[in-house]
Amino acid sequence: MKILVIGLDCATPEILLGDERLVNLRRLMAGGAYGRLESIIPPITVPAWMCMATSQDPGSLGVYGFRNRTDHSYAGLGIVSARSIQELAIWDQIAREGKRSVIIGVPPSFPPRKVNGICVGCFLTPDTTTDAYTYPAAVKDEIAALVGEYEVDVKGFRTDRKAWLRDELFRMSRKLFTVVRHYLTSTEWDYFHFVDIGTDRVQHGFWKYHDPQHVLHEPGSPYAEVIRDYYRHLDEEIGRLLELLSDDTVVLVVSDHGAQRLDGGFCVNEWLVREGLLVLDQYPAQVTPFDQLSVNWGKTRVWSEGGYYARVFLNVRGREPEGVIAPEDYEAVRDDLKARLEATVGPDGRPLGTLVFKPQEVYQQVRNVAPDLIVHFGGLYWRSIGGVGYPGLHIQENDTGPDDCNHAQFGSFILAASNSPLQGEQTGARLLDIAPTLLELGGYDVPGSMQGRSLVSGRALEAPSGFTAAGEAIIRERLAGLGYIS
Amino acid sequence: MSRFTKVVVIGLDGLEPKIVDSMLQAGELPNLARLRDRGGYSRVATTTPAQTPVAWSTFATGVNPGGHGIYDFIRRDPKTYLPDLGLNRYEQKNAFLPPKAVNLRRGTPLWELLGAAGVPSAIIRCPCSYPPDAVKGGRMLSGMGVPDLRGGLGTSTFYTFDPAVQPQESESVVRLERRGDRVHAHLIGPRIPKTGADAKSDFTVEIRPAEGRALLRAEGSSDPLELRVGEWSKWLKVKFKLGLLQSVQGGVRFFVPRFEPDLELYASPINFAADAPMFPISNPWDYAGELTQRIGPFYTTGMVEDHGGLNNGRFDEAAYLSQCEQVMREREQMMRLELDRLEAGLCYVLFDTPDRVQHMFWRFGEPDHPANREHGTGSYGQVVRDHYRRCDLVVGEALARADDRTLVIVLSDHGFSSFQRGFHINSWLQQNGLLTLKPGTDPGEDAGEFFHNVDWSRTQAYALGIGSMYLNVKGREAQGTVDPADAPQLADRIVRGLTGVVDPERGKVAINGVATKADTYSGAFAAESPDLVVLFNAGYRASWTTALGGIPAGLFEDNVKKWSGDHIIDPTLVPGVLFMSTPFQGGAARLLDLAPTILSALGVPKGPAMEGESLLP
Repeated sequence: MKILVIGLDCATPEILLGDERLVNLRRLMAGGAYGRLESIIPPITVPAWMCMATSQDPGSLGVYGFRNRTDHSYAGLGIVSARSIQELAIWDQIAREGKRSVIIGVPPSFPPRKVNGICVGCFLTPDTTTDAYTYPAAVKDEIAALVGEYEVDVKGFRTDRKAWLRDELFRMSRKLFTVVRHYLTSTEWDYFHFVDIGTDRVQHGFWKYHDPQHVLHEPGSPYAEVIRDYYRHLDEEIGRLLELLSDDTVVLVVSDHGAQRLDGGFCVNEWLVREGLLVLDQYPAQVTPFDQLSVNWGKTRVWSEGGYYARVFLNVRGREPEGVIAPEDYEAVRDDLKARLEATVGPDGRPLGTLVFKPQEVYQQVRNVAPDLIVHFGGLYWRSIGGVGYPGLHIQENDTGPDDCNHAQFGSFILAASNSPLQGEQTGARLLDIAPTLLELGGYDVPGSMQGRSLVSGRALEAPSGFTAAGEAIIRERLAGLGYIS
Repeated sequence: MSRFTKVVVIGLDGLEPKIVDSMLQAGELPNLARLRDRGGYSRVATTTPAQTPVAWSTFATGVNPGGHGIYDFIRRDPKTYLPDLGLNRYEQKNAFLPPKAVNLRRGTPLWELLGAAGVPSAIIRCPCSYPPDAVKGGRMLSGMGVPDLRGGLGTSTFYTFDPAVQPQESESVVRLERRGDRVHAHLIGPRIPKTGADAKSDFTVEIRPAEGRALLRAEGSSDPLELRVGEWSKWLKVKFKLGLLQSVQGGVRFFVPRFEPDLELYASPINFAADAPMFPISNPWDYAGELTQRIGPFYTTGMVEDHGGLNNGRFDEAAYLSQCEQVMREREQMMRLELDRLEAGLCYVLFDTPDRVQHMFWRFGEPDHPANREHGTGSYGQVVRDHYRRCDLVVGEALARADDRTLVIVLSDHGFSSFQRGFHINSWLQQNGLLTLKPGTDPGEDAGEFFHNVDWSRTQAYALGIGSMYLNVKGREAQGTVDPADAPQLADRIVRGLTGVVDPERGKVAINGVATKADTYSGAFAAESPDLVVLFNAGYRASWTTALGGIPAGLFEDNVKKWSGDHIIDPTLVPGVLFMSTPFQGGAARLLDLAPTILSALGVPKGPAMEGESLLP
């Protein structure tokens, strides 16, 4: 069986599985299996797509987010690239049997991966007009001939220019689907995987218009339907893709995480300063990003990086250059900090419901330089703000530009294949289960190193249902009402 | 600049020239007479065979059936010898896609040429326009070929308490159940794809004898539907769940034969909801919905008139006529709407009802019709002529909306004749050694339909559909026996054998001739055609069971059904009528000439495949 993975970054089950106007998706759901898909911790695009493709958790990949500490210095975070992931992805597994893949926009894929087939770079590509963002290189020219300038992202999507953003997102996505249709039909492939990043961007850009529960909701806005329109656009495009498939294809529509409203930002370093854990040489007169602060490392016990979630680091003697926490106190300090973070409150003084994770407890391995704690403020209804100089701990505006939504722990999946025994709504599916499931349905061996379990394992695979000759009753019914016969 | 800015075509299905002539003479068709006087009137040659879908497809494309691929209501699969509908089929490209309707009418319809030339069109219910043609700048509502929600051309439901009642032709029977003061039953929806079971939607009926009415309450519908004895109800919108995620909508009307002593109820076939059809029935896709908004819910199935209910005796002629009138009104409303907004281009509206009225009322004009023995004769002798007058009123409406740059065309696709006797073509083939039954089987009941007991290895020809015959050709049929090189000789033998066959009981010639594929059809789809088409004399037709591959005992039978008139006979006996509001060369007009005529009137060159010529001087 061939495998087509339709990746919709951030596609959230409430809309993807809940909007009955998405008729093509509905049909896939009716003919296959679907449900919520529990993402990784943290539920972030990088590394989620590669966790899915490798069935390895972030700790095992040694990639904890889009930005990671590269060493134990205070030099801040490095940005991931395709090279950050060393584990074999599903396309690498099947390439060992000579099978060909087309991989388009699966993050991180810049520089483009050398695959047995075609790879087109993801949103990390700095500039598609100047950079070599495809493998093989000639694919770049083919794409240019197809769609002109090919965008991998809407630069500056955190903007107030909403009409512009909307138009750019639809335009970008249509180009992506044009390219997908082209390679779906013009190349030989056994595994085809693409990711529409616009689904993520449109939700970050328009959630407050969409969700009446959003604190900044504007009722009756002309942008109220932009998100749902985008999903309908996806449904139409997916309908067109389905026209191009043969029956011997496994189709998976999947997201790396969901989406939910953002209630505000929690100023994590501000909080650490107030708790006496982060010591500055001088408290700034105005809001200042963390990397521009003058930190007194010799007195600082804890610091954090902001983002959709917080990466919290302990300043450990012998590990960090000016570490102050004795290694033997590390666990006690971390436990205390975890409890204090879990007790953080919202502007109304009530607990935020913050979730705090120790990498060693949530990952099978912890490679490279992991955060000491991973924090989902208010279950990710709050993002974390890294800057200092705020009058309080809670802010409405975002430090990186307008953004109305955060990621939710549950994404979505729809799996349809003529040989799949799974039917109807499924519960308990996890992102790491995807690769083994696809390999099994595709007729490949599932490597023992994969951390998820196949959703179809142990269930009888049915032979593809072939054409059955229409019975006489059906024929009679089809001719029923034609007065000329009896 | 072309002479006309608009062409209006009013199709009156099955209008018979002999009746038109006599009524014109009697001054009973004043509007058609006006049209004749302004322009002209002639007969128009129909197709072989003289069947509605075949004829209107030739009208639309200007080519013989070999060029558009519609030959009969029924076609067969040469790999299984099984019959299927000849108008459209469904295909599913892969498991992820829904089935799609595919029109078997091919060729290039004239509205496609108009659209390409920038001339708009509004095409209402032309047969074989399902799925609708995607015409630029055009509106189209599909007609004959659109199924009901069950997927057939129309399956009705009869509701009764009587356990002895069995389903008749194209019908389901549901037993009513009394619980307290309500009667419970359900509507039967489509098959659920996964399970094959019928989707159902429950309803209750509460009879209020004092008020002379009953109230029908349906699942998911807030307002009760009023039922009165002897009347058709308004439309009930009904929704069937096909699964957790899928549902489908339809519309149904009820007729109540009686409340007392026990309730009986007739439900029409469940029509696609025009604003939410199961498959597209209009172009643009929301045009049918727009029509609903403007004129209310309407019948959408391809064969709208409930002839089944009348044939099965579920209601009487008066009820059938009242339903036919409803259909006429719907169609008139569509016609008015489109004529009122037509600024330029083509408007075509087909009124199917005259065909359906004549099928069911022909016997009242023939005292010797065998059906009268079964059903008696009522006071319906004038119905056909009354209906022609009704059609004349439609023409009047169209004329009232035509200016002097509008070409008005009124035509029928074929005429009409009697159907008193059926001929069993397969039985004739069996008697003549061309079709062999399995050992131990004789023609008749045990031969069944669908060629159940045919020994294909010893069969050279078979008939199905309404007059179509196929040779059992090697390499084409699954168990072919006839070498293609020998086919013409075999065809010739059958032609000679059948031509002039006499009905011994009546002493009349039953078959005037047999058309051969080679002499009759040419074009891109000629290979799909029947090998032979039997051309019956007036009063005769292929028998009921022949249509589905039956092999009854004997050769002839009386037609005792209320469906007592027909037209699928020698086409030269049943030409249609043609009226135009401008003088035309009518002497030898053919349906083939209409497309070139309309295109010429609007200044658009005829299509390269079109075989006819413009009738305009």
